[in-house]
Amino acid sequence: MAQTAVRMDESALIRAAQAGDERAFEQLVRQYDRDVLRLALNLLRSQEDANDIYQEAFLRVFRNLHNFRFDCSFHTWLYRIVTNLCLDALRKRRVRKEETTVVETNDGILDRMDTVEEPRADGDPQRQLMSRQLDSRIKEVLQGLTARERMVFELRHFQGLRLRAIGEMLGTTEEAAKNCLFRATQKMRSALGDFV
Amino acid sequence: MKCDDAKSAIPLFLYGELSFDEEGRLEAHFDECQSCRGALARERLLHRAFDQAELSVTSDFLTQARQQLRTGIAASTQPHSSWNSFFERLNFRWHVPTVMQPVGALALIALGFFGAHLLPPELAGRFSPAGVAGVPVATRVRYVEPQTAGKVQIVIEETQQKTLSGNLDDDNIQKFLMAAAKDPTDPGLRGESVGLLMRHPESTEVRDALLYNLEHDPIAGVRLEALKGLKGYAQDPEVRKALSRVLLADKNPGVRIQAIDLLIQHNEDQDMGLMQELMRKEDNGYVRLRCEKALRDMRASPGTF
Repeated sequence: MAQTAVRMDESALIRAAQAGDERAFEQLVRQYDRDVLRLALNLLRSQEDANDIYQEAFLRVFRNLHNFRFDCSFHTWLYRIVTNLCLDALRKRRVRKEETTVVETNDGILDRMDTVEEPRADGDPQRQLMSRQLDSRIKEVLQGLTARERMVFELRHFQGLRLRAIGEMLGTTEEAAKNCLFRATQKMRSALGDFV
Repeated sequence: MKCDDAKSAIPLFLYGELSFDEEGRLEAHFDECQSCRGALARERLLHRAFDQAELSVTSDFLTQARQQLRTGIAASTQPHSSWNSFFERLNFRWHVPTVMQPVGALALIALGFFGAHLLPPELAGRFSPAGVAGVPVATRVRYVEPQTAGKVQIVIEETQQKTLSGNLDDDNIQKFLMAAAKDPTDPGLRGESVGLLMRHPESTEVRDALLYNLEHDPIAGVRLEALKGLKGYAQDPEVRKALSRVLLADKNPGVRIQAIDLLIQHNEDQDMGLMQELMRKEDNGYVRLRCEKALRDMRASPGTF
């Protein structure tokens, strides 16, 4: 008899996870966790911080899944948790005047961002150089944005979410999210205009 | 529409966040206004610059995060597992007198002994911990058939979970990864499997699997991972044939750019014709630029066809 994989739709997965099925929970996590990690990594630009957000977010999901009542999509519910954690982390950083990615090690000075992979730039030294210059410029510009502006930009540009969904996640209106995106792109255009 | 209004609407236009009518008015304005067309082109360049600065999550990073989460969840559930709650209830709610405790313990042992002997083996299996090799973790009723004297026959299918571990260069491990890389229902699983397989492209079977994902996977991220794995084999005739097909057929510009980069690592005569064919049909500005550069490097003018 051919073995048939038992596939559950998302609601069934959530219900199974709520009933304590650890496999269902793991399957649920795997549907979204790459995007969650990517969002945190791009917002915080630190693997360590991104991992902290990932762990905290999914532990909160695990602990509070029994409270999920299907009033919104699971994606929206999860992203509310993740975006709140990221916004807190961004605001804390701002208070600490933004920690540097450059650290002193036994082997000399090291930029922690050098350990983060940049897949689009590999192979071609000229592209690598351009990419590094651009990356450092974009990092500067991103620091100039408010936490909410960064979040809306990240969710729209890199995660490809609609402004309506972003508004719902951040507990605001579509119009407010639109204004946030508009301000973010305007700031970045004026800062990077000569570069591109 | 005034130029100021048009320029301020460009970001939302590029993100597809304008209404149908607003988009129509803006496009009509672009047709008439060269300055706003220039602003649109600059905004597109800016978007590409952002795309280049995006950090990606490596398979290793994701795997580590998942392992840590598993440990975290196990640690957070330990003090409040169902068994602990059960024992807590025994201790705090029943208030068993001390002299009666040995009797209670004996009763529990007897219950366990007879329970294990009297339960049918199929049901006994259900009460074993999930995830142990050979124990069904998902059951589905395949069909039911009424029989005489009020009886019924039920045929069930059981899916079993088994944990395997081994080195990435192990043939059996690679076979499982190759099967997982083709799982049509789980893009995440395919991506991770390809991410692991790409570390051992020296085997022909693994390369074939990477080539399959490169040409057939519906998710661009998985195709890009497969391309990365084939990087060291850009001179292999089968890989080159696949790269040529991908270059002309793949819908994702990032994949097409990577395919160009791999092909031009080892210039061959037929690449010139291929690049010229791409120039004829390519819409994406950045891919055209890469293609033009490749043609110039081959001392072929992009304008000769």
